[in-house]
Amino acid sequence: MTQEVDPITLQVIGGALHSIADQMGTVLYRMSYSSIIRESQDLGAGLFDRDYNTLCESDSTPMHIGSLPGYLRGIEKSIPLDQWQPGDVVIHNHPYFGASHSPDIAIVMPVFFEDELVGFSANTAHHIDIGAATPGLIMDIPDVYAEGMLLNGIKLFEAGKRNDTMWKYIRDNTRVPSQVMNDLEAQIASAELGVARFQQLMEKYGKATVLRATRQLMDYTENMLRREIAKIPDGEYVAEGFLDDDGRNRGVTLPLKVTVRVAGDAVEVDLTGSSAQVPTAYNVPFEGSTKVACFFAFRALLLDTYTHSEYIPQNEGSFRPVKVTAPLGSIFNPIAPAAAEARFAQIQRIVDLIIKALAPVLPDKCTAGNAAVLSFAAYSGVRESGDYWVFLEVNEAAMGGRPQSDGPDTIEELMRNTRNNPLEDLGMHLPLICDRYEIRDDAAPGAGKFRGGAGVVKSQRFLGPGYMTHEADRHEDIPWGVFGGKPGAGGRVEIRNVHTGEVSQEPAKFSGKLTRAGDVVSYFSPCGGGYGDPLERDPDKVLDDVLDGFITRQHARDDYGVVLEEVDDGYGWKLDLNETRRLRAQLSAQ
Amino acid sequence: MIRVGVDVGGTFTDIILERIGAGGEQSVVVTKVSSTPHDQSEGVVQGILNVCKLAGVEPGDIDAVFHGTTVATNIVIERGGARVGMITTRGFRDIMHMGRHKRPHNFSLQFDVPWQSKPLVKRRDRLVVTERILPPDGRIEVPLAEDEVKQAAELFAKRGMDAVIIGFLFSFLNDEHEQRAKEIVSSVLPDTYVCCSSEVVNSIREYERFSSTAMNAYIGPKTSAYLRKLEGRLRAAGVGGIIRIMQSNGGITTVEKSSELPIGLLMSGPAGGVIGGRWTGDNCGKSNIITIDIGGTSADIGVIQDGDLRIKNPRDTEVGLLPVLVPMIDIDAIGAGGGSIAYLDPGGAFRVGPRSAGAVPGPACYGKGGTEPTVTDAQVVLGRLDPEQFLGGDIKIDAALSETAIRDHIAEPLGLSLDDAALGILKIVNNNMALAINANSMAKGVDPRNFTLMGFGGAGPLHAVSLAEAIHAKDIISPVQPGITAATGLLVTDLQYEYTHPLLMVLDNASDADFKIVNDALDGLMEQAHQQLDADGIPREARRFQRIAECRYVGQGFELRAAMPDGTVDAGNAGTIIDSFYDEHKKIYGHAFRDQACELITLRLVATVAVETLALPELANGGRENPDEARLYSRRTVFDDGQAHDAPRYQREKLLAGDRVSGPAVVIQHNSTTIVPPGYVAQVMRFGDILIGRN
Repeated sequence: MTQEVDPITLQVIGGALHSIADQMGTVLYRMSYSSIIRESQDLGAGLFDRDYNTLCESDSTPMHIGSLPGYLRGIEKSIPLDQWQPGDVVIHNHPYFGASHSPDIAIVMPVFFEDELVGFSANTAHHIDIGAATPGLIMDIPDVYAEGMLLNGIKLFEAGKRNDTMWKYIRDNTRVPSQVMNDLEAQIASAELGVARFQQLMEKYGKATVLRATRQLMDYTENMLRREIAKIPDGEYVAEGFLDDDGRNRGVTLPLKVTVRVAGDAVEVDLTGSSAQVPTAYNVPFEGSTKVACFFAFRALLLDTYTHSEYIPQNEGSFRPVKVTAPLGSIFNPIAPAAAEARFAQIQRIVDLIIKALAPVLPDKCTAGNAAVLSFAAYSGVRESGDYWVFLEVNEAAMGGRPQSDGPDTIEELMRNTRNNPLEDLGMHLPLICDRYEIRDDAAPGAGKFRGGAGVVKSQRFLGPGYMTHEADRHEDIPWGVFGGKPGAGGRVEIRNVHTGEVSQEPAKFSGKLTRAGDVVSYFSPCGGGYGDPLERDPDKVLDDVLDGFITRQHARDDYGVVLEEVDDGYGWKLDLNETRRLRAQLSAQ
Repeated sequence: MIRVGVDVGGTFTDIILERIGAGGEQSVVVTKVSSTPHDQSEGVVQGILNVCKLAGVEPGDIDAVFHGTTVATNIVIERGGARVGMITTRGFRDIMHMGRHKRPHNFSLQFDVPWQSKPLVKRRDRLVVTERILPPDGRIEVPLAEDEVKQAAELFAKRGMDAVIIGFLFSFLNDEHEQRAKEIVSSVLPDTYVCCSSEVVNSIREYERFSSTAMNAYIGPKTSAYLRKLEGRLRAAGVGGIIRIMQSNGGITTVEKSSELPIGLLMSGPAGGVIGGRWTGDNCGKSNIITIDIGGTSADIGVIQDGDLRIKNPRDTEVGLLPVLVPMIDIDAIGAGGGSIAYLDPGGAFRVGPRSAGAVPGPACYGKGGTEPTVTDAQVVLGRLDPEQFLGGDIKIDAALSETAIRDHIAEPLGLSLDDAALGILKIVNNNMALAINANSMAKGVDPRNFTLMGFGGAGPLHAVSLAEAIHAKDIISPVQPGITAATGLLVTDLQYEYTHPLLMVLDNASDADFKIVNDALDGLMEQAHQQLDADGIPREARRFQRIAECRYVGQGFELRAAMPDGTVDAGNAGTIIDSFYDEHKKIYGHAFRDQACELITLRLVATVAVETLALPELANGGRENPDEARLYSRRTVFDDGQAHDAPRYQREKLLAGDRVSGPAVVIQHNSTTIVPPGYVAQVMRFGDILIGRN
């Protein structure tokens, strides 16, 4: 029986772990080169124990948080615990050995203390090109081997000595070697920092105390989550939806089914009933992505950092109460060699369907239907010099209405939380120019007592010929309203050539499309669904939305029962409260 | 010569008056008054009148008033600013609504997005006009539709906007359209404040530039109204002399310039503390200092390296989650102070802060209705704060209330002794502060082992030694007037103006033509600076200039500041910039590259004029060990090792230069208490600052 670490020391060590993860993340994004890491912060970093438990993780993109234990268990298949040496640096991205998906490359360093392996310092970051079939992103490909370099637990450094052959191999197999290699350098620097800081922590407090404290901190986080799960009535909660297609077989939608089983202070997410695995890259790695999405959903729903004042340490404890089931051979647990690179839109839907399933019992914590998608655009081309340029852009979307507030407009929702690229920075470096970046004005957000968020429109113009791959979904299955709220709007993609005037509507997913000079690719994201009866929305807020151009006057009248009258104050409209009362009474009687 | 510094804090307004007589004899008088949050200038004037009375001088004899103010910051935090209209490029109406599209919380569904829920410019007041400037050279693809600008201006006239901003894409490359639009708007709205994004912040990144411009306009009218009112009140109270305002960059400026560019005042409040810390360090012969200014609800942390203030990376300069692209002293604020509340959360974890008891009800010991234990209560229970000495006895505190609060909320539930519970509160809050110091220092390439930790603000010297131990600082300073250090900083800094020019030029293979562009740009900046200093009537020989090259590796997202060679820049000396950038990169990030090209993004010129600095009277030499003459009494005091000692109290005003006090001891003065734990010795420096080191 080991002695407990006292509550004071526990708090002190917990704070230190949090700070280490934070600094690891900071070093990584500040040192990196590619915009996807330095601007978008598409990365994660943290410390792990010998059993691959997460001790702490940087507060960066949620998709990366909780994925690293899967990588570590995958690496163990190549490098058992007794094969690690101080100064090793392992690189890994194999989606069938725990990786989140192949472009998210992990760098892992062992942490030794008093000549003994005590844990790992590791990080993941999204690399812009790993030599896949098409530049940057992939969709319509035959198998996992077309995803590019598969790095399966390889020692990039062995006991501090760099494997130059491997280094050269990676450099030679990406379309943008300078960015990828420098990003790897940044990842190594971040991992080195984690190793040093973890060792310092053990020097200061003693190994046994630190390791005991990490176990208690995991228990603490686990208990905090279990307390909240226990408040949900036991039972089975189901929600369903569908995906547009697999990126090849047009018109064939893919079913989604999420069953949430709550029993006491534990919960199971069962994805049985969702689509079988698909023949393109539109599958989801189980360990590194499917499970992570389920972990995220419960943390965000039940330990919301905005409504909870206390910081809950980010560690393994938040994963333990959540069991995830997906049948082997399904889209959420594919069998090798199915490709599984393009997985973000699907995991967003897992989270959103969990929220939908639980909404009836968590009305104060849920949201209406979120856009629950991710538009991932890979723009590329070949410069006159013969070098490739590749630019990956994440387009934001919108959230559903919420119990106390409107759904945020044009925002990174659910599993993602990257930063956009300044248009001016891109314009200085790429043969691409942005022609439009605004709130969508062709579709209204879902009406509700609290309305859904408005989606975005972004138009990028190719200045010369190039290639483009787009990964998205949700043109067909519209974000739903909840508790009387109205549905939002689906997404769309349009390509218009400024020279010829030709316009075409495109599906949400397309691969390696050849583009011409003057092609303007416009992405219109979905808009969120509404929460609650629109007739209960504060008329002043409806007026605000009309004045701000989020909705039209007609929409205010039809969906919200709000009547406006003209006024000559430079803004044009004010409330007609009497008419509004009358119309609302009439509409609610219907 | 009489100079007055006034620093306005959340609870108190601190005033320092320095007088130098005809014969060079010099004296310093300090005081505090309660702040007047509804109108800071009331407290400022009251404080100045009080300090004049204490010093026995007439308000009319004051030569200069130096002021640090939180007015601009409060306007942003409370969202009480102007109604601002914006004219922007068609197709890009919502740049400020989207921000960088990253949400402020990862694990949350109910989070707030302040730039959407409380925008600086409402969407209805963002109007688009046709125009297009293209990168990378700033050529005009679509000329400005001047009729649309005029219509927008007329609409704003009808709406009665307080201010109008113009923000066009790529205006940092070519400001022709912005300037023309400004002319048109000003002709329609001659009395309205109008500014262009390229005037406020001439740099790349549209969201940050537009938002900074909007914030400038948002705080502009009220900030300048405040400054005018302050000036009026001072004159009405018979206060003479010039008025100077502290800026975020650590320099002072005129009222006129502050009104023109109020965005430069957002860190006006906390800047004085770091500068006061630098000056105190100078007085003690220390040039590497970590400062921590500990107040009731928060603590501000700063770093002085080789005697220089550090400027925050522009990536991190923000107020209320909104970006502010102007240079700011690198100060981190954390929610930990004397009023931070200690509690057990529902999961049983022992927490201290960031929730604070504030000034009302305040710590339990104030007896104003607070029942939860705070950091101050822990100090009282451990005997580190003597109830009858608190603010010289101005505030009555009751130690029994502290004991009850800690016993009920912490000690009994955790099964700890009262002392251990109180020690735990301090250990946790000190750890929070130490981690924040590490984040501000170690993570940015500063090794605290070579630094002195200086704790000020009323509570600073209570925590300083514990914090120094936690971060392994070399030694500790308790400034002569810890409660008034920030106000002191106002009297010891320079007049400062900054000018920038965006470039985007790879230095490694720059041509003679490129260097000509650099040199012409530098000449242009110098000309602007001289014009301003001429207008201020500053003699040429008093002007000092620092030229900075803000660089990054090609393809990186963030710039670092590199030093420039003197005189003309050419292929021969450009390596100085590249080397300086390399060193800085290595210091900040731990790595740097020789095989990567260095890109110059922005040229910056900092023009400074040294003002008279404060000279404190030297203390008489004492040279005594534990002087009985300064000793008050001894009392039970518990130190960090958990041991209780009968520790002597010393009266700070009776200590003389060269006196040494060995721990365990407590040094008491009107607005602060300095703890000297066992194993430490405190040495009184020539101006009365106390240097504490291990025995």
